[in-house]
This record gives sequence, C-alpha cells and structure tokens, in this order.
Amino acid sequence: MRKFSILVAAVLVLAGCSAEPEVAATDLWVKSSESSLAGGMTAVYGTLTNNTSADIVLTGGKTDAAGVTEVHEMAMINGQMKMQEIDGGLTIPAGQSIELEPGGNHLMLMQLTADLLAGDEISVTFSFTGAADLLVDGIVAKPAEGGDEEYHSTEMDMDN
Amino acid sequence: MVTRRGFLGTGAAAAASGLVGVAAGAGATNASASQNLETFVAKRELSFHGEHQMGIEADLQAVTNFIALDIKPGTNKASMLRFMSLITDDIQRLTRGEPVLADPAPELAIGAARFSAYVGFGPSLFSKLGLQAMQPEGFHELPAFKVDKLQEQFSGGDVLIHVAADDPIVLAHGTRGLVRDSMPFASVRYVQSGFAHTPGMVPAGITHRNLMGQVDGTANPKFGTKDFDSVVWIDEGPTWIQGGTLLTFRRIAMQLDTWDQLGTPSKEEVIGRKLSNGAPLTGDNESDTPDLAARHPNGLTVIPDFAHIRRAAPAKDGERIFRRPFSYDAGISSSGSVDVGLLWTAYQRNMDEQFIPIQKRLDELDLLNSWTVPIGSAEFAVAGGVESGEVIAEALFS
Ligand code: HEM
Ligand SMILES: [Cu+2]
Repeated sequence: MRKFSILVAAVLVLAGCSAEPEVAATDLWVKSSESSLAGGMTAVYGTLTNNTSADIVLTGGKTDAAGVTEVHEMAMINGQMKMQEIDGGLTIPAGQSIELEPGGNHLMLMQLTADLLAGDEISVTFSFTGAADLLVDGIVAKPAEGGDEEYHSTEMDMDN
Repeated sequence: MVTRRGFLGTGAAAAASGLVGVAAGAGATNASASQNLETFVAKRELSFHGEHQMGIEADLQAVTNFIALDIKPGTNKASMLRFMSLITDDIQRLTRGEPVLADPAPELAIGAARFSAYVGFGPSLFSKLGLQAMQPEGFHELPAFKVDKLQEQFSGGDVLIHVAADDPIVLAHGTRGLVRDSMPFASVRYVQSGFAHTPGMVPAGITHRNLMGQVDGTANPKFGTKDFDSVVWIDEGPTWIQGGTLLTFRRIAMQLDTWDQLGTPSKEEVIGRKLSNGAPLTGDNESDTPDLAARHPNGLTVIPDFAHIRRAAPAKDGERIFRRPFSYDAGISSSGSVDVGLLWTAYQRNMDEQFIPIQKRLDELDLLNSWTVPIGSAEFAVAGGVESGEVIAEALFS
C-alpha cells in the first residue's frame, strides 16, 4: 500500500517537471581581467544542464557586450595549450550538465563593445540546436587570475 | 551593454528561475550523499540578511582575520559599488558553506562553520572619496594616547572586511575569495589573524578567556537585548549607517613574562575580578555585580583604585561599549618570550561618548597598562545590514 502511494507521488513530481526549461544555466559568470577592455576579449563560464531526454548542442550566443561570440575548447596545438572554436558546437548529453570553466570549454566573447570591469553585469543569449534560445541576465564579471588562454584560429591569429 | 548590480538575488536568480527544479534536485542528491560527512561544526550557519551585518552580535568563532584594504588610486563611488556587490554576493555564499562564484577551489567549501563577514570603512576612505558629509557622528581618527606604541603595519585602513569562522580551512578559503574579489579595487594593508576557543570547548554563552588567563567579556551587554541595541547599533544619521555600528580596533600586546611574575592575588587586583571564575573581588559568581564601594577593614577598597574594571566602569550613563576580543599569537622569540595579545574590538554608536572617554580614563590610571601595550589602532564605520538583493553600503556609494 505504502509503495503504491510513493509511486503516485513520483509520477506527480515527474509531471511537474514538464514546466522546466530545456536548458538551465547555473552560477554563470564572466571573467574580468586586463584583457576584458573595449575591443578585447573574455569568456563566460558556469554550468549548463540539459533537462530533456535528447542531446542538445550549444552552438554559440549573442550579447550586446561583444561583437563576436564563439564556443571554445582548449586543445594541445604544437605542444601548447591553445583555445579554438569547437567545430559543430558543444554537446550537452541528454539529462546531463556540462561545465564551462577556465582552462576548459567556454563561451568566448571577442571584440568587447565596452570595458568589462569587475562587478559589471552582462546579458547573454545562448543558442542551441535541439533547444530554444536561453537569455540569461545578470551575469556578473568576476576578477580572475590571467590564465588567459592563447587563441588558435585558422581565420585570424589573435595570439596574445 | 554593461549593467550593474542586478545579480544579487534578482538578476542571476531570475534568469535561473526556470531551473529551480533542476538546481534543487541536484542539490538534494549532493546533500544526501554527503550528509553523514557533515559534522555539527560544519553545518552551523549564521544568518547573513537582516537589520545588522553579521558577526558582531554573535558568540566568538574559533578563528578570525581582520583584512584591511587601501583603495587604489582612481577608485571612486561607482567602483566601490561594484566592489561591494561582489563582496556582498561572496559573503552570502560563504555563510551558507558554498563556494563563491568563480571559485577556483570549490572543494574547499566544506561547510558554513559559522562563517561570518562584515564590512566597515575607515575615516581615510571618506576623505579619499570626498564623502565627509556621509561620515557618521562621533567617528574620526582617534586622538593619541600616552599608552600607545602604534605601528603602521597594524594600523589604519580604508576598508575592513572582518571574517571569522569555526574552522581555519573554512576561514582561509573564505578570506582568499574575498581578497581575490577586492584586488581590482584595493590592495591589502594588513591581515591580522586571531582566535578564540574552538566550538564545544566552552558552552555557548560562557565567557572566553584571554591569554592572560582572565575571563574576558563579562560586563558586556547581552545579545538580543534593548541594552545591546542602545550600546551598539546606530539608529540615526545617514541611512547607510543606520543598523550599523562604529568599531574601534586595537592590537594590544600582552607582556606575559612580567605578568607571570605576579601572584594570583596581585593579578586579580589588577583587574578587580577573580581568575578562577571571573567573579568580582566583592562576589562569588561571574554574574555578581562588582561592589566598587566595598572596603577592607583597613579602609582600602576591595576592588582597588587602580583596578581595570573600576577605571573602565561607566562614569556616566551610556558610556559603555561591546567588546568582542580575539586573541593573537604571533610567535615566540629565541629567548622564549611569546608575542601575544588581543585583537581588541569595541563596538559602539559614538566613539566620542563611548570608547574615547573610557580610554582616556584608562590612559590616566589603570594598573593593567603595565602589562598591555596598544601596538595597532584603527576605526571603521560598519554599514547597516542588507536584505536579499541589496548591496552592503549601497546608500553610501550610490
Ligand atoms: C589587553 C588589553 C585588555 C585586557 C586583557 C582586558 C581585560 C579585561 C577583563 C578581564 C575585564 C573584566 C571582565 C569583563 O567585564 O570583561 C575587562 C573589563 C572591561 N574592560 Fe578591559 N581589557 C583590556 C583592554 C581594555 C581597553 C583598551 C578598554 C577600553 C578602552 C577596556 C574596557 C573594559 C571595560 C569597559 C570593561 C568592563 C568594565 C565594567 O565592569 O564595567 N578594556 N577587561
Ligand atoms: Cu576562447
């Protein structure tokens, strides 16, 4: 008897979940450093969670804060850790989370439109294949140690 | 477009509102997995939001850092506001035992452990930013006292972040996060580290001992009383300071080599209280009221004329302070002398009416001065408390 009522409760909870967004963003932040001045670059970090039962791919984003937004990974190129755009975007497996973190995958913001100072906030719209766009406001700029990865690109060389 | 200050409670939370189900779900899993690893000490939280900043009207924690910062040239009101919004968010997370945003070592957020932090501002900040009009009444640099042997390295500061916790790792991790987020705006002037008893060592509410051996803190106003409010919390003046308080921070060295040459009766006469339990020399229990008029048959006062508690007792109504001293231990010399003392604090509404008259009296006569030397000194105006979504000292820098 008891088991039965628990099962009913579980079903109700599951039903409640349908109101969830397909992708959820937690603890997003953007790096403020010497590179994050107007014309410069920075990156957005945090956790993205896929609440659906199919894979979703992060393909890029849009923000007033930057001219160019790309999904980046870190890769060993000629014996050096460099960052580069991920071909085809970054997959968030069904029901799982991915971390965007310094030294790892990140949403790169280039050609910043204004100085991004510690404590500033920006809005970013994340774009996906397999899910609707996700607008996140109030992404705060946190000071973080250099660690600014070298950029590897076939189109333009932005090494710094 | 870059905007400011929405992320505290509103921005990021609102943006993330849709993920409440997920976040809560994930949190629950983590909690159940680690629940039996969390101890009583780790779990205890102090509350961040409220009328007053945290970590003042609270039992002493085990360890503390007084972090004094000097603002960088070019720092203005707008940058102070960004600074405070970062710090406010950090403190809020740390008090829940969570890592700060962008924490490079989130694994060190192992529990709240009664972590607390509050922020205050020195007189130098008001002059640097041209904010003299916002300076609270009875708040300014202290006059010089005869007993002072002040050292620059322990004195002053534009901004104070005073952190404390029941665990040294939690404290170090929290300190690191707060300092990291201060660096775009300020440089570190000093960090003074101190300690009190560890949790469970003395029952809550029992007065701690200092390194001279004395029960220290007896005559303090009691938490949660009108009396405490009237001694400590400011309820007038510029809005930013309402609910706040004024801190006098003194690093006071103890000369234990000579102190230890005294016998117990002499040590007790210096203070006017017993070493065993902190009772006044005219009573049996710590809570007994000292009888300053009582005399020995030979006519001498039982609590001597030079005794610390006689000299420090209020000369008039309202001339009281709330003391929350931590001990410090800065090492031992090759000849075996300890470098110890108090990170001594007085919280009050008005320094001209509270700390200064008391200190002036002690400066004239207090036998305790023979074994204690103030070697550092600073004053900070501690902003009022914040509610969810507000930034510490927002009204001062807006
Ligand atoms: C290392 C320095 C100091 C030590 C070791 C010390 C120690 C003590 C002790 C043991 C007591 C008695 C118990 C109690 O009520 O807490 C006391 C009381 C007190 N002390 Fe100090 N103290 C120091 C410095 C100061 C200073 C600098 C001030 C103020 C300028 C001060 C103000 C007071 C007051 C107001 C009381 C309560 C007096 C009363 O009974 O009305 N103390 N102190
Ligand atoms: Cu990149």
